[in-house]
Amino acid sequence: MVDIYLVGVGGQGIITASKIIGDAALLAGRNVLLSETHGMAQRGGSVVCTARIGDVHSPLIPDGRADVILSFELLETLRALCKASVNTAVLSSTERIVPLSVSTQKLRYPTEEEVKAQVVRAAKSFTRIDAARIAADAGVPMSSNIVMVGALAGTRTTGLDMKHFENAIEMNIQRKLEENLRAFSDGANHVRPEA
Amino acid sequence: MERILEAPPGSKVLLLGNEAIARGALEAGIAIGTTYPGTPASEIGDALARVAKDAGIYFEYSTNEMVAAEFAMGAAASGVRAIVSMKHVGLNVAADALMTFAYTGTRGGFVLVTADDPSCHSSQNEQDNRYYALLGGIPLLEPASPQECYEMTKHAFELSERLELPVIVRTTTRISHVRGPVTVGKIVEGLKKKEFVKDPTRFVTVPAVARVRHKVLLQRLKEAEELAEDSPLNRIESVNGGGVLGIVTSSAAYNYAADAADELRIRGDILKLGFSHPVPTRKVAQFLRDHRTVIVVEELEPILERAVRGIAQHQSIPTKIFGKDDGVFPRLYEFDQAIVQAGLKAAGASGGGPLAEPVKIQNLPVRPPVLCAGCPHSATYFAVNKATNKKAIFASDIGCYTLGLAPPYNAADFLVCMGSSVGSAGGLAKVNDQPVIAFIGDSTFFHAGIPGLINAIHNGHKFLLMILDNRTTAMTGHQPHPGSAKGPSCCDITAVSIEEVVKGCGVKWLKVVDPYEIKITTEAVKEALQQPGISVIIARRECALIAKRDEKGAIAKKHYIDQEACKKCRTCVDRFQCPAISSVEKVQNIDEALCAGCGVCAQVCPYKAIKEVN
Repeated sequence: MVDIYLVGVGGQGIITASKIIGDAALLAGRNVLLSETHGMAQRGGSVVCTARIGDVHSPLIPDGRADVILSFELLETLRALCKASVNTAVLSSTERIVPLSVSTQKLRYPTEEEVKAQVVRAAKSFTRIDAARIAADAGVPMSSNIVMVGALAGTRTTGLDMKHFENAIEMNIQRKLEENLRAFSDGANHVRPEA
Repeated sequence: MERILEAPPGSKVLLLGNEAIARGALEAGIAIGTTYPGTPASEIGDALARVAKDAGIYFEYSTNEMVAAEFAMGAAASGVRAIVSMKHVGLNVAADALMTFAYTGTRGGFVLVTADDPSCHSSQNEQDNRYYALLGGIPLLEPASPQECYEMTKHAFELSERLELPVIVRTTTRISHVRGPVTVGKIVEGLKKKEFVKDPTRFVTVPAVARVRHKVLLQRLKEAEELAEDSPLNRIESVNGGGVLGIVTSSAAYNYAADAADELRIRGDILKLGFSHPVPTRKVAQFLRDHRTVIVVEELEPILERAVRGIAQHQSIPTKIFGKDDGVFPRLYEFDQAIVQAGLKAAGASGGGPLAEPVKIQNLPVRPPVLCAGCPHSATYFAVNKATNKKAIFASDIGCYTLGLAPPYNAADFLVCMGSSVGSAGGLAKVNDQPVIAFIGDSTFFHAGIPGLINAIHNGHKFLLMILDNRTTAMTGHQPHPGSAKGPSCCDITAVSIEEVVKGCGVKWLKVVDPYEIKITTEAVKEALQQPGISVIIARRECALIAKRDEKGAIAKKHYIDQEACKKCRTCVDRFQCPAISSVEKVQNIDEALCAGCGVCAQVCPYKAIKEVN
């Protein structure tokens, strides 16, 4: 059983990322369940997806049970820690999308170091990924999500091969496939846990 | 590739619960699919819309759920198969038709899919639509996984034709919006045309006919119960070799119960009801007799529980029964494994370790859904606040624009359902001295706003109706509506003019504005509020997401804040709302990547510090 908890902000391509993970699992002959929670808006709110690889009935991951937290946004990384335990690997994009509440209620957006400190206290490892830059370098600035899927693949925690992920990307991405595959492998090569 | 159409027989594909329903319908050989979009049901219709042309079926986005259901009823009564899908509250709209269609029954298979939303993830209530099956006397199927969504939808058509009754397939958010492997079968070409054989003693429900047909319905329900007794959809699964503890469950709750029972190492049996109305009485009675304790695990209302308790009482079975009526399980919100595990333990199940205490980081800035960058509704609300100084009562409606509720706009004071803005505005105005403004979206106006507007004209009400026309049904995924000129490939549609409808209802004062023009919109609101009766403003501007997708429509001139000209007055964040504008450490900035280029913020800034990027 591998439980992956994906979080981020509406519009970041999180559902597509979860579909790629799901297809990859199926290609590898594994069972998989995905769930998605998106609220009443098209964009801008917190989005949560789950991917559970293995034989299980419930699509939701109980608190403290995620094997991997795959976060597309720094602040959402902290919100996801309810699913973390000392066995959890946390992969976080360094992307920051400042929520309106920070502006209107004059709250503080946490720094990268603050996020790291909290993650290290709660989880097994913390890996920062400059997904936006890696995606831009690969020629697909909108594909941070593919970089993050690469990062997940790079941890070798899912029991799936790179080939399964690459084939799943081909099933889900039509435009700029070559660049997206590069974003994926660059993401995989960037995984170096800091703590 | 469209998986739901192209997946070959016998293959295993990853499908969303809603897509699996669409595939099941295609394999059942439907001729007709209809819907009005609503989360979490929307993807059923969207999937059918994408493949309808290639699959050779007729699909339409109907004006509302009642019309969608009635259209499908007309076709099914003639003898072809039809599916209609909607969110749970959509069935409130379609219920009038459905309650009596159960009397007439159907010739071709008629399947109504309703998607409930425990926890109100994207809804105004969490009503339990299984009650509609009880209320109408309608067979009910409850899938628990994408595979079952597919299988049960297909089966529902067989059942519907066998019983000559409509069948409800009821999902929840956690069924419709779960993706999992589905092993599919063969898509068959169903009957597309069928001559309607007249039979007014069945299909024209005047009182004399209705009285007879009610009796027929009750007979059919008896037959349905017999089918439920032997249905493979109602199965008993042993957990850890079986034992004296029994669990009765259905739908998403089954998934949590199965995982929880496994984790607690319960020795017992699960009676999983997939065909849950009419309840198979003999099967449940035997299950009760075979177990010392029975725990009923279901989300929302204690419907199965009361049926089980009734059977126990009726047949004097002494088995101890636990559920919601004794407080073991909550009647509120969506379940998860932890809730079910706690309930099973409260009912006396033992075993398993304690669940993890979750790490909670306090005081994180919240991130609720917001109006998008460039959203025309945001501009409209800014103009309305400016015109009224917030001294007005705002009757709101269902759509993205409901988000105007939040600061800085506070532009929603009353909302209960689709169309309630127009209906309630008259009552609010009648007993209040403040001006009343009703906000309704274009799709919602067609769906349920028109009778309210006619009522307001006819009875001489006084309020301003603002139709927020972004040319699409945005919140549910940009489906077309009667005002749209263009739809998906399947749909050959004609645009109905909102202006003509409004005028046709008898409105004398009507203005159409572009909400991006703040000054003009503000003046229009001021003028409208001076009118003696009903005034209508259509604030028309295409949804910013579509404008961005099509790379047209929006003015698309990115803006920035000139920090030297900026006086830090915070108007752009305290009185206007745009996700591209942030204020961090007292400095306001526009994120160029997020900026939609609408230019509204430049009109909002009192110091002209917001400028176009060269």
